[in-house]
Amino acid sequence: MKIINKLFTLPALLLCICINAEPFDSTYIAEPSATSLLKNANIYDGEGNEFFGYDVLIVNGKIEAIGLNLLSKANNTVEYDLSGMWVTPGIIDLHSHMGVYSAPGVKTSSDGNESTSPVTADVWAEHSVWTQDPQFSLALQGGVTTFHVLPGSANLIGGRGTTFKNVQSNTIQGMKFPDAPHSLKMACGENPKRVYGSRRQAPSTRMGNIAGYRKAWIKASKYRENMNTYESKSAEAKEIVSPPTRDLEMDTLAGVLNGEILVQNHCYRAEEMAMMIDIAEEFGYKITAFHHAVEAYKIADLLADNGICGALWADWWGFKHEAYDMVQENIAIIDQARNGTGCAVVHSDDAIGIQHLNQEAAKALAAGNRAGFNISKARAMKWITSNPAKAAGIEKTTGSLVKGKNADVVIWNKNPFSVYAIAQKVFIDGNLMFDRDDSSSKPVSDFDLGIIKPNSSRTQ
Amino acid sequence: MKNFKLLLSFIFMVSINVNASDTLIKNGTIHIGDGSEAFVGDIYIKNGVINSIGNLDIDASITIDAEGKIITPGFIAPMTAVGIIEIGSLDVTRDDAADYLNMGFSIFRAFNPNSTLIPWNRSNGLTSVITLPQQTSMPLAGMGSFFVLDGKMDVTGMKDMVMLGKMGASSGSRSEDLDLLENLISLGKLARNKNYEKVLESPLAEFFELHLQDIEALDKVANKKLPLIIETNRATDIKHLIDIKNKYNLNLILAGIEDAPLVLNELAQSGIPVIINPMDNIPNSFDELSSSLELASILNQAGVTIMFDSARSHNYHLMRQGAGNAVAYGMKYEDAISGMSKIVADVFGIKNRGSLVKGNFADVVIWESDPLEPASMPLYVIIEGEQIDLITRSSRLKDRYINKLIKN
Repeated sequence: MKIINKLFTLPALLLCICINAEPFDSTYIAEPSATSLLKNANIYDGEGNEFFGYDVLIVNGKIEAIGLNLLSKANNTVEYDLSGMWVTPGIIDLHSHMGVYSAPGVKTSSDGNESTSPVTADVWAEHSVWTQDPQFSLALQGGVTTFHVLPGSANLIGGRGTTFKNVQSNTIQGMKFPDAPHSLKMACGENPKRVYGSRRQAPSTRMGNIAGYRKAWIKASKYRENMNTYESKSAEAKEIVSPPTRDLEMDTLAGVLNGEILVQNHCYRAEEMAMMIDIAEEFGYKITAFHHAVEAYKIADLLADNGICGALWADWWGFKHEAYDMVQENIAIIDQARNGTGCAVVHSDDAIGIQHLNQEAAKALAAGNRAGFNISKARAMKWITSNPAKAAGIEKTTGSLVKGKNADVVIWNKNPFSVYAIAQKVFIDGNLMFDRDDSSSKPVSDFDLGIIKPNSSRTQ
Repeated sequence: MKNFKLLLSFIFMVSINVNASDTLIKNGTIHIGDGSEAFVGDIYIKNGVINSIGNLDIDASITIDAEGKIITPGFIAPMTAVGIIEIGSLDVTRDDAADYLNMGFSIFRAFNPNSTLIPWNRSNGLTSVITLPQQTSMPLAGMGSFFVLDGKMDVTGMKDMVMLGKMGASSGSRSEDLDLLENLISLGKLARNKNYEKVLESPLAEFFELHLQDIEALDKVANKKLPLIIETNRATDIKHLIDIKNKYNLNLILAGIEDAPLVLNELAQSGIPVIINPMDNIPNSFDELSSSLELASILNQAGVTIMFDSARSHNYHLMRQGAGNAVAYGMKYEDAISGMSKIVADVFGIKNRGSLVKGNFADVVIWESDPLEPASMPLYVIIEGEQIDLITRSSRLKDRYINKLIKN
């Protein structure tokens, strides 16, 4: 930095370099992929449509076409006859702690909560990720091609979350989803007040929680204003005033206020979610999704009116007081709110659950239809594909089988809403990343290697 | 929606006859629960028990048309905290831990028949459970009891019918844990003549400040074949526990056992029944590095007797999702059904439940469709011949809010 300082005497330039050249940028580049033709498949496209006996053509790692009797011009096309099998977009989990709570779950791998201060907007979950977590491969075998890693919920503001491709790399940069926005993890309710209250410090109550968020946003608003004031000065004026001092915590919060960072808000109770919406309005930011939100169904219309997704479990409850009012129809109610304009996401928050998000969606769908809704499986497929893509800000490149999107695709042996359905082949950017018919295709982490059988991997 | 409400009122009309003395279920696809193939037939229930099964021509006060529906025994979950934990994070709602007792700790009298977990789990197909205390840092933690989920204040169950323990529970070496387990069992052997006071004076009993109830419980485990569940994942633990079972002639059940494929032959030959969570394939510790979704299938093919545990608190009924996954990866379907019904009854000595045979209590579930599909739900739950109202706190909340939503 000292050298740069000497080279660029203009502080304005320095500021631009610091803020715009993001460190830890994605270095992921898809391998060149074969042209693939998936023939005679039953398809949920992730946009709410279903097709029977259709073909999917993958060219240059992108979806080229869905249709009947497609032909490939490339002469080295790999053809798969999928009669009776099902094809869906790659599954996306909006709430994962893989890598930050790696397996084995020992204390040296407990990297998800920087619970040393109630506001730690300066920390980024990606900086905790262990690239050799064996859970990534297990999730891939469950059809998961993309996942969003969040910090835990000990803090009011826990730090930045990051979206990853489920690919093997020795660097987090190599796994990061290119151009995906960061998120900001915020948490309501019991967890922050328990963690800090037990240390006789704020917050120890829900009102303390609310005060904590607002104090942080007041500070962030001022920081952003100072930055903007400085940025709006002429080059000449910038020569004589020094730029505001950068603050990592404030950079993140200002990123939210600028609309560049998406808020993923852990929040169970209805009244707390309504207050969080007011706080967002007070300071001029948007909440992208409420996570866990066991009581989302009580304010389904409010969420739909504000364009906020509910990232939910199918049926977890009772492990704490704020999770007591579970209804199995929660996801369906969010989906159907305001004439079906709601945004429902089935999330896992769990390394086992992430492998079976299709089963969780199946439970939520059945509960909704049993209660009187008429939701199709094709629509419910959106809960684990295009809706989480939208909530992660990556819907333009993945989440559904639409021409031009990344060919993130899963082939299932049976209808994916059945417990007996098993992912057979998983493609990321058109590359076959896992093939159940070829045990050597199973990604093996460094951890897995030779640990039980010196000449083999943990999972084989 | 109108049709739905009609259906609701129909169900209500049927359910007001809950005290009627006999019920005929017609044309259901019946899984007895004993591992045999399903067949289409009728079940006649009288005085709370299964009176007959077959092609029946009987006039009953209630007739249920079960054509195209699946009938199973009410499922029995072998490892739960139903009735003793209402909200996990709230200690004031928990009765699963002892203050001064050890292996003599009994949760029986803490069982709360008004717990919201009872209507919830039975509306999802569980008709009875084994409720266990919390594990402790000792290899033996306390005793669990069996409860029928009828929600009655007059609790139907079996008091202190199982002992729970764990390997690797202490902060010390598991080698010492195994020693301690053997020493405790030996203490129990000494107590076979009910000379509990004398056994209490032994150095081990004094060191761990054991009480009369602890010695009495050890006597049952060591001398009276009280079922003993030990949780462990490590393959070497499994081997040593097989030896201990044989040495002391224990009624041992192993739970967890994610590394069991490494000692498959020894486990299969031991005849020890197991309780597994087929969905837990996470190598969550260095003792379970072999864990995989194939565990149930591997054990099933080796002839091991399998029961199921659900890792998710409160939703113990989700063991059937686990069973479904086990079948998806190769376990025999009927063995999976049996692992949630007759096998549990047989292993734990639960009399007259767990299978749909003449003379057993009529704990019966009629399912919309395949019960191993987690999306499938019971249409009827019958406990001791009485049709159970499927309303739960959750369904009340759903009705309150969903009606508002649909009206708008």
